[in-house]
Amino acid sequence: MAELRTVAAATSLVFTLGLVCFVQPGLAQQPDSAGQGPDSSLSAQALKKLSIEQLMNLQVTSVSKRPEPLSRTASAIQVITREDIRRSGAASLAEALRLATNLQVAQLDSRQWAISARGFNGTAANKLLVLIDGRTVYTPLFSGVFWDVQEVPLADIDRIEVISGPGATLWGANAVNGVINVITKDAKDTQGLLLTGGGGTDQHGVGTVRYGTALGSSVRARIYGRGFDRDATALPGGQDAADDWHLGQGGFRMDWEASSASHVTLQGDLYDGRIAQDSGGDIAVSGGNVVAKWSRMLSDKSSLAAHLYYDRTHRDIPGLFGEDLDTYDVELQHATRLGARHDVVWGLGYRLINDRTSIGSDSSLAFLPLHIARQWFTGFVQDEIALAPNRLHLALGTKIEHNDYTGFEIQPSGRLNWKLSPSATLWTAVSRAVRTPSRVDRELFAPAKPPYFLAGGSDFHSEEELAYELGYRQQEGSIALSVATFYSRYHGLRSLEQVNPPTPVPLVIGNGQDGESYGAELTADYRVTDRWRLRAGYTELRVHVWPNPGSTDASRGATESQIPDRQFLLLSSVDLPAHLGLAAWFRAIDDINDQLVPAYAELNATLTWQPTPHLDLSLVGQNLLHGQHREFGAATSPTRRDIQRGVYGAIAWHF
Amino acid sequence: MAFLRITAALLLVCAARLGAQAAKASEAQVKAVFLFNFAQFVDWPPEAVPDSQTPLVIGILGGDPFGDFLDATVRGERRGARPFVVQRYQRVEDITRCDILFINRSAGAQPEEILARLKNRPILTVSDADRFAERGGMIRFVTDRSRIRLQINPEAAEAAHLTISSKLLRVAEVVTPTGH
Repeated sequence: MAELRTVAAATSLVFTLGLVCFVQPGLAQQPDSAGQGPDSSLSAQALKKLSIEQLMNLQVTSVSKRPEPLSRTASAIQVITREDIRRSGAASLAEALRLATNLQVAQLDSRQWAISARGFNGTAANKLLVLIDGRTVYTPLFSGVFWDVQEVPLADIDRIEVISGPGATLWGANAVNGVINVITKDAKDTQGLLLTGGGGTDQHGVGTVRYGTALGSSVRARIYGRGFDRDATALPGGQDAADDWHLGQGGFRMDWEASSASHVTLQGDLYDGRIAQDSGGDIAVSGGNVVAKWSRMLSDKSSLAAHLYYDRTHRDIPGLFGEDLDTYDVELQHATRLGARHDVVWGLGYRLINDRTSIGSDSSLAFLPLHIARQWFTGFVQDEIALAPNRLHLALGTKIEHNDYTGFEIQPSGRLNWKLSPSATLWTAVSRAVRTPSRVDRELFAPAKPPYFLAGGSDFHSEEELAYELGYRQQEGSIALSVATFYSRYHGLRSLEQVNPPTPVPLVIGNGQDGESYGAELTADYRVTDRWRLRAGYTELRVHVWPNPGSTDASRGATESQIPDRQFLLLSSVDLPAHLGLAAWFRAIDDINDQLVPAYAELNATLTWQPTPHLDLSLVGQNLLHGQHREFGAATSPTRRDIQRGVYGAIAWHF
Repeated sequence: MAFLRITAALLLVCAARLGAQAAKASEAQVKAVFLFNFAQFVDWPPEAVPDSQTPLVIGILGGDPFGDFLDATVRGERRGARPFVVQRYQRVEDITRCDILFINRSAGAQPEEILARLKNRPILTVSDADRFAERGGMIRFVTDRSRIRLQINPEAAEAAHLTISSKLLRVAEVVTPTGH
């Protein structure tokens, strides 16, 4: 596998250096007689060289609207657009996240995914914050995400913003190593009827109906219904792993342009699914949510936004456990410009969860107490100071949070953005982030009745991170390049401590480990011609975890972080004549934890045909290089599943 | 260590190449370039092009948001043998020969009236007015999260015997008139 490692590293290096060498001389240096304002805008000559799609991707500044705070943030951000998803042929949100080269994504079985940024990946990865239209979807059970019930219709996604590195100051607890922000389209962009359908070897059947219409002159709405049936993965010997499943989902979104300055959104979803298990009855999942959002421009210098949501999830894993979770969340945010140099944004939030769990018939584990209610109070403030307007910006901020487990937590950060030239930015950041305890850390007991061999740590406290980041971004004509490097120190990482050493059990959950991580994320986008686009990503990552004095945990983080040391992704997308499009998507992933999972390389390919603007046909090949391969889980693990080669066809009809 | 060296080298290479180019552009500038580009993606009926030398006229109705940027964009450019010309109009009645007409948001607040007067003339109508394409216009600029998207109403273009290239339709949102 060292071979693969070398190949991946060499390919990416040659590719990246190749890109740098191909960078055209600054377009704006060409003579330009007019239109060059005093601000550092692109010249007419430079703009004319861009394709229509590039023009559409160009960020524009208008007087009335402030650029998004996110895009200005000095952090490692990648954006996956709807067009990227369409071209990739991704079949689920989790699979689409593979397009963000700063994430570690591994498919465990037909429905479970391990997704993380900057290490600490696992089946219950717990240092990533995932938001769908502002609604937090990580579970307070273990601070991870049940990806099987985050089936946002991909056609409704406007974009996915992926930030690797701490985002806690603005985004809150759990944004320790990254934030995934899924943003769906405004209802005005999904008008008319959309019918999609498809099927194949892995995606047995999938169908969506969406209808969008105007309700009066300023209100647009859409409703959708969706269902799918996915095939089981394979056991190592090739037999069916009996984890096939199906899910039905429906929802709506309504957008009201109440005035030119205010916008109201009301949206919601409902879902219900059944997942087969190789033993025991089917897992039942169901839930729903309703979100209300309001935003208003108070003046050209100040804006106000608020959201309110309710989310309900139900999960019943026969034999193991059951859970009903209700979440209520409200947030208010105010952004304002003070004087000529200060852009201040501050906010307040409150969240209440009501979590009722039950013990399965096997009595193998319990969350005790079974029923809890917990509250979070948050406040944050950030001031972005223009040290040298449009050149050097410093953002200082902090989040202050109060939770029922550990009381107050403070998560400050300082970020410096230095525009070296109109096309190049150097940024650096220092941030503190915490992962506050989840139920699994404090309230998990196994078996369900004493004597316990594993008990939650009643004094488990927050895991702390101090992160240092340095990054560079450059956009030059048809090439965009970004490098993010980081070093993080962790204190009080979760450990399993022996109560009576050297007796191996019972164990209690503690904060007995420290650790560090470092690495670099490189990404490059290159529009070779108007019709041919390349995107490459390469990540090098190291995580070291060690026990603190007094700790009996000798795992050195083997259970807390399961990641490849490096990964490489190359995506090529070509528009062919006759309205055909071909996208190929290669990934090479190094082995995890010394061959626990071997390295692998896989290829997806998608052929699309749009004979008319109303009709979109696609043929997708997934994981084409091997009959089956493993992405996660030890070779000897009884839950190990192999992901199989898959082919499916899909048709989308807009009218 | 090798990796750090490579990263550092990369940073140096990039730093050495810093050009004076912006990653952002003003909204008006990008719209002006779109207007210019539309000429490459639209075919006019033969009667709209008296001869191969006829200038291709981009008109602006109402206030001009582009300053001299549109003029700078088209200066010296040709579509085939046709040079580009920018015309400014205060009223619909002033519009004589025009191929692409940008209707300023203020003038286009009630686009139905303007469009009715241009009905079936082979003029590509473009505006950033609210719901312009649904109300019978051909192309609307939508500024959404700091980016400009296009909404195109192909039926309106067809009615005026204009052919919009599928390349343009593919990147745009296709809308149909709501008929009121």
